[in-house]
Amino acid sequence: MRININKDNKTYIKNTINNDGNNINIIEDTTIILKERKKFKFSFLSFYSVLIYLFLYVPLIVVILFSFSASKSTVTFSDVTLKWYKELINNSGLVSSFLHSIQVSLTAVVAAVVLGTSGAFFIVRTNFPGKRFFMTLAQLPIILPGIIIGIAMLIFFINLRVPLSMLTITVGHISFTTPVVMFQVMSRLARLGRTYEDAAKDLGANPIKTLFLVTIPMIKTAIIGGALLAFAMSFDEIVITYFLTGSWTTLPVFIYGMMRFGLSPQIYAISTIILLLSIVIIFFMAKFTGTKAEELMVRK
Amino acid sequence: MKNVKSSTKQLAFYSPKNINNARSFILGIPITVWLVLIVLVPVLLMFIMSFKQKSGYEILNVFTFNNYLEFFKNETYWKLLLKSFRMAFIVSIVAIISGYPLAYFISRRLRKFRNFFYMLIITPLWVSYLVRIIAWRTILGNRGLINTALLNLGIIKEPLSIFLYNQVSVVITLTYIAIPFVFIPLYTSLEKIPNNIIDAARDLGASEFNTFINVIFPLSLPGLVTGFMLSFIIALGDYIIPAQLGGNTGIMYGNVVWAQFGGAFNWPFGSALGFILFFIAAIVLIIAQIFGSKEGIFVE
Repeated sequence: MRININKDNKTYIKNTINNDGNNINIIEDTTIILKERKKFKFSFLSFYSVLIYLFLYVPLIVVILFSFSASKSTVTFSDVTLKWYKELINNSGLVSSFLHSIQVSLTAVVAAVVLGTSGAFFIVRTNFPGKRFFMTLAQLPIILPGIIIGIAMLIFFINLRVPLSMLTITVGHISFTTPVVMFQVMSRLARLGRTYEDAAKDLGANPIKTLFLVTIPMIKTAIIGGALLAFAMSFDEIVITYFLTGSWTTLPVFIYGMMRFGLSPQIYAISTIILLLSIVIIFFMAKFTGTKAEELMVRK
Repeated sequence: MKNVKSSTKQLAFYSPKNINNARSFILGIPITVWLVLIVLVPVLLMFIMSFKQKSGYEILNVFTFNNYLEFFKNETYWKLLLKSFRMAFIVSIVAIISGYPLAYFISRRLRKFRNFFYMLIITPLWVSYLVRIIAWRTILGNRGLINTALLNLGIIKEPLSIFLYNQVSVVITLTYIAIPFVFIPLYTSLEKIPNNIIDAARDLGASEFNTFINVIFPLSLPGLVTGFMLSFIIALGDYIIPAQLGGNTGIMYGNVVWAQFGGAFNWPFGSALGFILFFIAAIVLIIAQIFGSKEGIFVE
């Protein structure tokens, strides 16, 4: 079938095959206007969407570009260079805070996996009064403004007479990494139900066998996905960390300190590294958890 | 009938599911310890701290409402809170204006690569909070991209200082942060609308515009409420962005809270300010839970 639109836009000729198998032309003048309007709206919406995508990504691209600019000014782009990346290695404060961040994030993620996974089982598999309220409370660290958690944790540690150190930062991070992992695992558990485990038990598997051969393989990807997301969030965290930092700093706090003296090409270089690292982590996270909207709705 | 019911209840009590329940209560111990120790106790300690009194460099163990009275008596504080309210409101509105058409486009118009474009929006959500601030300082700064472009085009002769260190730059950057948070609940609620409802409206003669106003928009309202509330809380509680891009006029409530723990060293007053923020956030979250989409906040 072929359609030719006439110049007056109100009629069109439909070239089609009739019952006898002959090629015929039919002139119609019905819904073409409607179709045209739909097309116009589509393009306006897509144009608008492209603008928003630009708004979201141009700033990040700017940072990446400036990290390769030979000129020290943040205005002109002259030559492509890698020297700022080489300088990063000589910045000992930066390197050690980078290592600190990895230490904190790894510890916080391991703790979150243990706490979050067991917690997810508890919430999904157990009925107890006030379950919804329990869940709401467990969400507080990711739903409340970070400044509140920061203040509360600071006062908590001062009351316990714990000096600000790696420990305080790590515990601060466990406050929000735990619900991140927990809610990822919870949504997986709730979706799967317990039929598979019941089947395994009916087939004669003991509880330990069921756990390792059925349950854990089923929720493994949710745990990995949640852990990756928690790592990305922890590695980047500053709002809570800033309250809990003494002389032992993490990477974002160190960069924040560098920013006091203005933006330098080094800042762009380390930003680019963080950005690419985060994107890689998020990419794998999406691969593991799937990109279902409900599963990804975890906020910082 | 009654007897039958109660006897099944009795039976259910001895069923294997409930024996498992006892076991999963043990699983609940770690998460409960986490919830009490890392979330509830710190927030409670902050609440207690807000009733204490600072005297010189000591914190007196007294019970007083002075910190809260100070907030209402001294107009600097509540006026700043109102100003932050206004800014957070503007941020949420702009984020919705930017995010709604985008969510509509991706969820209802796009057929291919829907997941890819979805991920493109939410990738910036968890990553590189600091990098995004750096990016916007680069773009809006006195020697930033906009000024340089305007200078080179000959539109202005001197770099304009209107882009950075004011309320506008704070609102732009907060909006940038908020868009993904608005986008996700909107997308979820828009995607859920069954196509046959829309087809029915169209078959009954509603124009595309009328279908949107009378069918699609009302059904997306829960997502809209959730998105608005999330972005409102994020904008209201932030202190890093106003500190980095706000200058003197762009300062927000969070900065004053932070100052009590930094230079001012008035922890009891800072806790009171923090608790006021906690109270507001709680109200906003309750509203979001009643009128918003359940998926938006709860991951189930």
